[in-house]
Amino acid sequence: MTAPAIALSGIVKHYRMGDEDIPALRGIDLAVPSGTFAAVRGPSGSGKSTLLNICGLIDAPDAGRYLLAGEDVGGLDEDARTMIRRRSIGFVFQSYNLVPVMSVRDNVEYPLLLLGLPAGERRGRVDEILDQVGLAGLADRRPDQLSGGQRQRVAIARALVKSPTLVIADEPTANLDTATAAQVIDLMKALGHRHGATFLIATHDDRMTAHCDSVHAITDGSLQ
Amino acid sequence: MSAAINALRLAWRNVLRNRRRSLVTILIATVGCTSVLVASGFALYTYDQLRDGAAREFGHITIAGRDYFTRDEETPMQYGIDDYRQLTAGLMANPLVRRVLPRVSLSGLISNGDKSVIFLGIGADIEAEAEVRGQFLKLVDGAFAAPEGALPAVLLGADLARSLNARPGTGLTLLATTTSGGINAIDVMVTGIVSTGWREVDKRLVYTPVATAQHLLMSDRISTLSVYLDSLDAVPVTHEYLSKADPVHAYKPWWEQAFYYDSVRGLYNRIFGLLGLIIGMLVFFSVANTLAMAVVERTREIGTLRALGALPGEIVAQFLREGALIGAIGAVLGTLLAGIVVLALPHAGMEMPPPPGRSVGYPLLVNASLPLYLLTNAAIIALCATAAWFVSRKAAKKPIVEALAHV
Ligand SMILES: Nc1ncnc2c1ncn2[C@@H]1O[C@H](COP(=O)(O)OP(=O)(O)OP(=O)(O)O)[C@@H](O)[C@H]1O
Ligand SMILES: [Mg+2]
Repeated sequence: MTAPAIALSGIVKHYRMGDEDIPALRGIDLAVPSGTFAAVRGPSGSGKSTLLNICGLIDAPDAGRYLLAGEDVGGLDEDARTMIRRRSIGFVFQSYNLVPVMSVRDNVEYPLLLLGLPAGERRGRVDEILDQVGLAGLADRRPDQLSGGQRQRVAIARALVKSPTLVIADEPTANLDTATAAQVIDLMKALGHRHGATFLIATHDDRMTAHCDSVHAITDGSLQ
Repeated sequence: MSAAINALRLAWRNVLRNRRRSLVTILIATVGCTSVLVASGFALYTYDQLRDGAAREFGHITIAGRDYFTRDEETPMQYGIDDYRQLTAGLMANPLVRRVLPRVSLSGLISNGDKSVIFLGIGADIEAEAEVRGQFLKLVDGAFAAPEGALPAVLLGADLARSLNARPGTGLTLLATTTSGGINAIDVMVTGIVSTGWREVDKRLVYTPVATAQHLLMSDRISTLSVYLDSLDAVPVTHEYLSKADPVHAYKPWWEQAFYYDSVRGLYNRIFGLLGLIIGMLVFFSVANTLAMAVVERTREIGTLRALGALPGEIVAQFLREGALIGAIGAVLGTLLAGIVVLALPHAGMEMPPPPGRSVGYPLLVNASLPLYLLTNAAIIALCATAAWFVSRKAAKKPIVEALAHV
């Protein structure tokens, strides 16, 4: 049996604002099996983003243990964590976060450039994933020439183009209307399975949770 | 290869992101580059002129008796050269030597019968002297060539001539101490009035033929031999070679006598160095300011790229390329502009006012030199890249979550 993509135990995170100590996560235990879709849902301020940031290795917990695909990533320094993100983690953001001066193709190609892949292979992979997200004809457009749904599809392509172990998606449909959100959810689901990626999704969206293999409810920094 | 082109294209697009801001920055780099090139070009031109003048005045290499340069003569011609014709013949055998001119230094009184003033004389082959001095010995009146006549011919400095009320054709008397300590006087006739452009010199200057000077001092010696080579570049080697081969005489290259050249160069180097420094700082802070704004505006983008796996160094490198690109565009435009100035100035016919101590101005021209241009271009680009590094290194290390939350 393969190790779970995410295995958290006793994860604690506090924010400090002046003298105030804000507990954001109060001892999280969570296991997400490899290749599955896991949703984290909860009210605003419950700690969803904090949890996802820690799982995506862009933030570090104050205490607890995190095994990413079986590897303990707790003691790693920032550069080592960056290299793991580069190789194994994709991100889908609520507001897309595409680079405005890059074309659709350049945005999707960027993770492959970081990996140092040769030009031919980059081109092949970008063409393939753009085709899969249905944007093959828009490769040379700039993000500001796309609709919100199209932008999020570019972001999904950018997250999946390197075939990562894990995709972190923090409220990926929150900025989209109902119909578009549904399309994006379907796309994530279809492509996630095809690329064998594990998804960790923070969401308010019931239709999103309906598509997920597991749903974890969080309130006030604790999982139910 | 294609990754490098990608990176450069990205830098270009980012430069275009805020066109007006980038344009202003590029313009500042352009103007900075042009100013440095034109100002240094002017300094180089001035150095060239002064070097040329000094070398023409003293000769590329001056030869004298062994102690001539180190001790004061107690009697005239004490450290003079005896056998200068033989020495000259030997020197002329060297293929790099173009001319060897004898000079006798003398001083004394010059009188028109009513008034006597001090003169500083040079006994020399006047026509050859006029030829090598070129624009640095201008004939104001009369002629260089002496007419056949009973009296020895002399040239007077313009201010001396005015003071003695002398014109070509005027008869004067020269009075000097001889080598044996007596006083001697000879009558001479003015053939020409000259100007060196130095008022202090023109006030006392008298050129006589070598024989006249020797006759006045009652000596067969000359003071110095001025050696002129085919080019200034040959001076160091030839100086070394000649002085090694002849232990009897002292050899001095022109630069050891060119005090005015040295002091102007020292002054200009400091002035233009300071100017360059100020321009450099201006360019640096302007680029730093532009890029600092860009960095702040792109904080969220930096966070995104860091999340995708870019190292802080790779983020900084991206801004470095943008800075270098701004610098490169500015440097290229600045170089073109400087080139236009260099080419246009000779047609503009502008004059600089006379420098301190001189009575004539000189044309405003600037030189172009490849090392100067390359160095300035490299410096501008490096400056802009450094500014980019300076303003982006902190943002690149900002915690990613914070950067992503930036609005
Ligand atoms: N940078 C910060 N500084 C201080 N407190 C913070 C910071 N980020 C989050 N918090 C606090 O931590 C708690 C959890 O925040 P988090 O952003 O994880 O919630 P969330 O579930 O993602 O909320 P939302 O649904 O609004 O996105 C909240 O109380 C929040 O105020
Ligand atoms: Mg959140």
